Amino acid sequence: MDALNNLMYGFGIALEPINIAYVFAGVFAGTIIGMLPGLGPISALALMIPITFAMEPSSGLILMAGVYYGAIFGGSTSSILLNAPGVAGTVATSFDGYPMAKKGLAGKALAIAAYSSFVGGTVSVIFLMLVAPLLSKVAVSFGPAEYFALMVLGLTAVVSLSDKSLVKGLIAAVVGVIISIVGIDLQTGTERFTFGSIQLLDGIDFLVVALGIFALAEVFYMLLRGGGGKEAPRNAIGSLKLTRSEVKEIAGPVSRSSVLGFFTGVLPGAGATIGSFLGYSMEKRLAKDGDTFGKGNIKGVAAPEAANNAACTGSFVPLLTLGVPGSGTTAVLLGALLVMGVTPGPMMLEQRPDVFWGVVASMYIGNIFLLVLNLPLIPLIAKILDLPKPLLLSLILIFCMIGVYGMSFSVFDLLLLLGFGLLGLGMRLFGFPAAPLILALILGNIMEESMRRALQISGGDWMTFIDKPISLSLLVIALLSLGLPLLKKRRKRAAAAAE
Amino acid sequence: MTKLNTNQWLALVLALVAAAYIAMAWQIPTFPLPRPVDSDLFPKVLGFSLLILSVFLFFEKPTPLAGADEVDHDAQQGPLLLTPWARVIVTSLAIAAYALLLVPLGFVLASTLLCTGLTAYYGYRRHAVNLATSLGVVLALYLTMTRVMDVYLPTGVLPF
Repeated sequence: MDALNNLMYGFGIALEPINIAYVFAGVFAGTIIGMLPGLGPISALALMIPITFAMEPSSGLILMAGVYYGAIFGGSTSSILLNAPGVAGTVATSFDGYPMAKKGLAGKALAIAAYSSFVGGTVSVIFLMLVAPLLSKVAVSFGPAEYFALMVLGLTAVVSLSDKSLVKGLIAAVVGVIISIVGIDLQTGTERFTFGSIQLLDGIDFLVVALGIFALAEVFYMLLRGGGGKEAPRNAIGSLKLTRSEVKEIAGPVSRSSVLGFFTGVLPGAGATIGSFLGYSMEKRLAKDGDTFGKGNIKGVAAPEAANNAACTGSFVPLLTLGVPGSGTTAVLLGALLVMGVTPGPMMLEQRPDVFWGVVASMYIGNIFLLVLNLPLIPLIAKILDLPKPLLLSLILIFCMIGVYGMSFSVFDLLLLLGFGLLGLGMRLFGFPAAPLILALILGNIMEESMRRALQISGGDWMTFIDKPISLSLLVIALLSLGLPLLKKRRKRAAAAAE
Repeated sequence: MTKLNTNQWLALVLALVAAAYIAMAWQIPTFPLPRPVDSDLFPKVLGFSLLILSVFLFFEKPTPLAGADEVDHDAQQGPLLLTPWARVIVTSLAIAAYALLLVPLGFVLASTLLCTGLTAYYGYRRHAVNLATSLGVVLALYLTMTRVMDVYLPTGVLPF
């Protein structure tokens, strides 16, 4: 009852005309910015700090929350239409979204993304409201050993998706971690694998690798298939409407992934990226038609989209109740809150209930705006597919360049982008999956940091990862996630041999 | 000597990369104060993991390559510059040239040149539409980034 009263109080704040305008503006700006590779939620939020500086803290946070989940949704658009995920959280959406677009079902894929994001966002707001204090207690009990185990699980879950060869999936993951640790080691200040280059001291940015491995490699691949010279048949975007059976089909994945996404988002460090990958891999395993994932299965779009939006909301739990940002994006939000004179933490609910409950209520409104805004825009956005192939390929290149240069202002990064594009092409031609590499790249640093901190605390005793029950359970699940597909494969082979 | 298959070739290359990586990991200087885990441990673990995985790959039976069979073989017969691999090489060179000319020429000029040039090279013959679209998109991106987002992009030879 208390939660309901508080929510009503929150709605009183969120429904003020000025705050409704901020929610709308935030969602709209976030969606547009999220579509541009290079300007993901972090950049979008960072750009908003000067704007929110003079605002009421509740209004400022309402605007920024809108930008955040708007950007995550916007990122899915470029993932689906161009296979160019601008945001790490929407990489998994491209696995089935892009094949759907290639089949002429771009409209349906975007509509599924919009509906799933809406459900994921709404379900997770309810969770945020009801169980935030309880969940924050669990999350705070996670030490470095548990985090390390969680990262390992996140990686193995994705590697186990590589149907054709587990070994190639693991190699891709190791290469991803290798790329992630280039630069200065933050714990000791030692340079690692920089080859004396000043540009590599800060490491290699996720965006350079993601755009290279996905978007640029896709351009190269299309060129190899003759996509440049010949006018490829134009794909219609198809209908936006979902049939009753399709709605039924995605209902389960969307609800499961919404819950999973929320819980993943609550754990600091996990966030939308792991949430979306876990949602995708869970549904692939549960689905009877799991082998069609990656070829344009609607559940493969619905699950990661519901999960990443739910995880965005989940990531507000540690931020608002503990004052601990769980991701780079929420770290920027924390900075913005501090600038506005609000210190998030356990006392925030008592001291600034207007901020907490105002934001929670605004999320309900924001999710409705997200749906209302995006559904009518889909046919307009999908017009991008009507462009002649040669022109589209060149524009994707420009898109990648501006994304990378606009972020780092470095010519060196443009050359790195080219290198990763060629690496992506090679991986594609030789059957190495790209997803484990990209996830390993994101997790590599946190994984190493957690591992070293855990060993530091235990005085170098490796048993620390097994002694703790949560860490042990996570590692066992990780091992099972790798072992089970192998067993399945062996059983299939044995059955085939018996026949 | 038996002929090596694709996986075995890849495994050998990866093993060489892993060996070089391990050698470099051993060069990482140790931190002056004694610590249970230093900067070199994680890279060493990664290097040996890659080496072990390349051994597994060596013995793995190769599956038909996903992408290789989809290469446009008809186009191999055409002029050398228009073969699929030539397209990849020319595009790579164009990107490298773009990276080097971006600052001196400026974003608008370099991007319009790259976009128009590659579109024409890929076979699009409506040059006026090509130029108008490329310039329009590049200008729109430039103005959005510089005026709305306050992101700096090089102006080069143009005055704005």
